[in-house]
Amino acid sequence: MFRRTRIFVLVFVSMTLSASGFAQAARGGAGAPDLTGVWTTYRAPGAAARGGGARGAQPELPLKPAAKAKVQEYQNLIAGTGDTPGGYCLGTGMPGSMMGSGGYPMEIIQRPDQITIVYEAHNEIRRVYFGNRIIPEKDRLSERNGYSTGRWEGNTLVVETTKLNEQVDQRYPHSDKAKIVERYTLSEEAGAKVLTAEMTMTDPDFYTAPVSEIKKWSIVPNGFLMTYECNEPMWLDRLEALKQKKSAQPTK
Amino acid sequence: MRRISITLAAILMLWSGIPALAHHSAALQDFTKRVEISGVVKAFRIMNPHGKLLVEVSDPKGKREIEFETHSRNNVYRSGYRDGMIKPGEKIKVTIAPNRDGSDGGYVVGFETAKGEKVGLDPAGR
Repeated sequence: MFRRTRIFVLVFVSMTLSASGFAQAARGGAGAPDLTGVWTTYRAPGAAARGGGARGAQPELPLKPAAKAKVQEYQNLIAGTGDTPGGYCLGTGMPGSMMGSGGYPMEIIQRPDQITIVYEAHNEIRRVYFGNRIIPEKDRLSERNGYSTGRWEGNTLVVETTKLNEQVDQRYPHSDKAKIVERYTLSEEAGAKVLTAEMTMTDPDFYTAPVSEIKKWSIVPNGFLMTYECNEPMWLDRLEALKQKKSAQPTK
Repeated sequence: MRRISITLAAILMLWSGIPALAHHSAALQDFTKRVEISGVVKAFRIMNPHGKLLVEVSDPKGKREIEFETHSRNNVYRSGYRDGMIKPGEKIKVTIAPNRDGSDGGYVVGFETAKGEKVGLDPAGR
């Protein structure tokens, strides 16, 4: 009798757990941690704002010789100019946008079927799709931030990104075969939310081994992002040039 | 309103000839050094990815206009800048990271207006 009851309880509990897991996946993480908010580069509680200047020395990336040559060719091209994609109002692209984003804050807007990440720098936006929002691979277009799909593994958000453009103009160069997996977890320090992203990039064309890094973010209570308008000065200059050209033309 | 338009137009005219796409990373300046320069504001353009500050300077090299680069509109704002703080015709004291090649100009890491308003700029953003 007791044995039958135990089996029944076990089956019931197991069915309930798997049904709740299925429901969570089907709802795109309803009941999952809420990542919504404005986040800035992590600083320990009570620590001063991060100072400026260049990053510290980075470990050498396990680039294949051909990839290393491509990166070097790009470095030679821009040497002495100070030119960067950002200088031309172009976003960083993954995984640089997530791992760096120029030190500017980012905003996460979480819906059950889509998480939208807005990086203030260059108004760069990523969309992470869940469930029925995910379109077939054949319908996806390549871009600097790729195409991202998400799923919840317990309280961990797992984001997979593919369909990336080949990029040698960022801290993590990669080919269009690159695949990036990010695992996001929430924690708390001194009563404040901390978001940790563990990133692993694999790329059979560019790398001999996976590239991994961890980035942490601190919540900004009641924080806001500013618009990063970058092209208006160029447009105003264009109008001014047209005006000058027109006024220089002889009147008929 | 008309005055604002005229001022904006005047600033834009002052900046004509500066290529809009001539934005650079901070690699051209030496951020281990600081130099203070005083002068008169000729024009200020707060914009992304970098702003431009044109200052008339008189020093032993002579009287001339020097163009400085500032951080982005967003970071200048976060550092404390508000509209109208820097006006053409007013004195200004800028602290810069000088150009590595020793030429005029550099990257503005702080400034003090004629009214004594001080703003320090974090060159890496926040």
